[in-house]
Amino acid sequence: MDKPGVFTGATKYVLDSELAKIVNVSMALEMPLLLKGEPGTGKTMLAHAIAENLGMPLIVLNVKSSMKLVDALYQYDTLTRLNDARFGDSNRDVSNIEEYIRMGKIGQAFTAETRTVLLIDEIDKADTDFQDDMLDVLDQMSFDIVEIDKVIVARHRPVIIITSNAKKDLSDPFLGRCNFHHIAFPEPKMMRKIIRVHFPDIDDLLLKNAIDTFYRLRQLDNIEKKPATRELINWIRALRTDPDFNPKKLVKGNVPFLGVLFKKTRDYQLAFDAVERSIFR
Amino acid sequence: MFLDFFYKLKDIGVPVTPTAFLTLHKALAMGLVGSIDDFYTTSRTILVKSERYFDLFDQLFAHYFEGADMPDPDDWEIDEIMRAMLEEWLKTPDDLAATLGITTEELASMTPEEVVEYFKQRLLDQTERHDGGNRWIGTRGTSPVGHSGTHPGGMRVGGVSRGKSAVKVAMERRYKDYSHSGPLTQAQVGEALKRLRNMVPSGPKDQVNIDKSIYHTVKNGGEIEIIFDRSLKDRLKVILAIDNGGWSMDPYIEVVQTLFDYARAQFKEIKTCFFHNTVYDCLWKDPTRYREPIWVSELVRLDPETRFILVGDASMAPYELMAADGAIYLDKRGGYGIKQPRRSSIENLRFIADTFPHSVWLNPVPRRMWDHTQTIGQIRRIFPMFELSLDGLEQAVTHLMAK
Repeated sequence: MDKPGVFTGATKYVLDSELAKIVNVSMALEMPLLLKGEPGTGKTMLAHAIAENLGMPLIVLNVKSSMKLVDALYQYDTLTRLNDARFGDSNRDVSNIEEYIRMGKIGQAFTAETRTVLLIDEIDKADTDFQDDMLDVLDQMSFDIVEIDKVIVARHRPVIIITSNAKKDLSDPFLGRCNFHHIAFPEPKMMRKIIRVHFPDIDDLLLKNAIDTFYRLRQLDNIEKKPATRELINWIRALRTDPDFNPKKLVKGNVPFLGVLFKKTRDYQLAFDAVERSIFR
Repeated sequence: MFLDFFYKLKDIGVPVTPTAFLTLHKALAMGLVGSIDDFYTTSRTILVKSERYFDLFDQLFAHYFEGADMPDPDDWEIDEIMRAMLEEWLKTPDDLAATLGITTEELASMTPEEVVEYFKQRLLDQTERHDGGNRWIGTRGTSPVGHSGTHPGGMRVGGVSRGKSAVKVAMERRYKDYSHSGPLTQAQVGEALKRLRNMVPSGPKDQVNIDKSIYHTVKNGGEIEIIFDRSLKDRLKVILAIDNGGWSMDPYIEVVQTLFDYARAQFKEIKTCFFHNTVYDCLWKDPTRYREPIWVSELVRLDPETRFILVGDASMAPYELMAADGAIYLDKRGGYGIKQPRRSSIENLRFIADTFPHSVWLNPVPRRMWDHTQTIGQIRRIFPMFELSLDGLEQAVTHLMAK
């Protein structure tokens, strides 16, 4: 039986032992875990998996470039208050500012009844000030609501997962406060496991041929956006719905639904040409 | 504990901090580490903050915990050469067997580790006997990359992972690919240029200005008046001048293209123009630099807030830059169509720099080479020059956005 509070994987997520160790160490040290890796390596999925596995609610903060830190903490709904002050037809107490404070995602994680998993997705989109300031808040596990001069202290320290797509490194103070892991693109063997999790009843030949073809297509030169796990899953889904499809065809260089794998015109064209030239034959 | 390990990490260039080291000890004290595998994972996740250093970490870890002497770089080198060559040879087992002086059957019966060991032994023998300059190392340049080679026994070099000891995992050097700084991609340029923005109000008035609303409401004696503002949009004007002529820029075409593509997608108001080597009396709107001139003297009509970005290697013969008649094209020396008395190129450059306070020169030539070219030095005195790399772009953007 699973030990409570230790992460061991989830129903739709194939976890390698290294990553499991890293997640558990970070949780024990109460440090945020920063995950990097190319798109489609399951950075975001990991947070979902942790939440599912540990039975904690998941709170997702999708970082946007224009975001200010305070947006992630709380919002003071001045307009509603103004409206209430004027018309007085609500049951809120206008003189109590606190009734007009709404928690942002970080605030929600701090005030939640139970321990939560806080996923801060694509941190690299925001500017460095946002990143550093946010880490201060996460370090101290508290923030101040200026309008009512009230300090919100985290009731439970959330499990914090931060993802970044950036090739370039985040700032040093930021990195200093995180643990770090880079998720490499899964090896074909791992990929087979992942696909099996998503399609438990998949035909062996289809699985093998689809994954072989997928990795060969990924190796094409000059592809700007390489297909990732998500694309492969969708592609297999597409292949399976096509009644005329026969997995044997894949090896012969007959690759349908390329558009599911390659989403940029130029990439599609390159892949299409490669398949047409039948490099696989 | 592991103090030595920590300092060795620092020595080989992994940026490790004392705080992280203390955290590692906290982890050790908490009993989170029960084996060397645990230690590998835990120490890496705590100490190393970028995948670029994973490879270095792996190398040091392997050598440190293998109980071997601290490796000198030459050992690593041999390791590398060996791996590359072995990979190549495993595609043709017969050749490999012949070279190692054993039969294909014998080879097939060996595990990959045995082959590696055997091979390493042979390689060291060779190195010693032939004083380093031997054909083993000489063939290195021909070894291709790629993981398609198979051993007759059915295994791939450095390909099998998981379920091994940490030292072996570290030996695989899974993160080798990340340790090199790759070419600049469009996405990376995008990241760097992201902050090159100038937000000004535009579009419909659809954003509530809370401060003003409250002020006006109070002024109205409580009658609510909501004030709307235009939302902020990026309205930065950018002129991108690209050196697209001459063989000296050829090696950089791709990286400039990337910058160009991104700039086009990013900015609404971008003018692109071209020049060759340096700017004479005009820039050209057409890449062929023939049909549509933009006179430098007329640039004053443009908004001085425009960000002026020149991209070029700034490498040319000094007279091209300094002499009034320096243009390497004869037709650009002559008088027709030129409205002003001709100035030397360097004066034109100064004029541009004076007209647009926010201007930079991006140079695809690596910074360490700059001192070797005289004209780079001269142009640097006029324009702040940055390397056309991620870091350089970042600095350039910071400079362009400074007030």
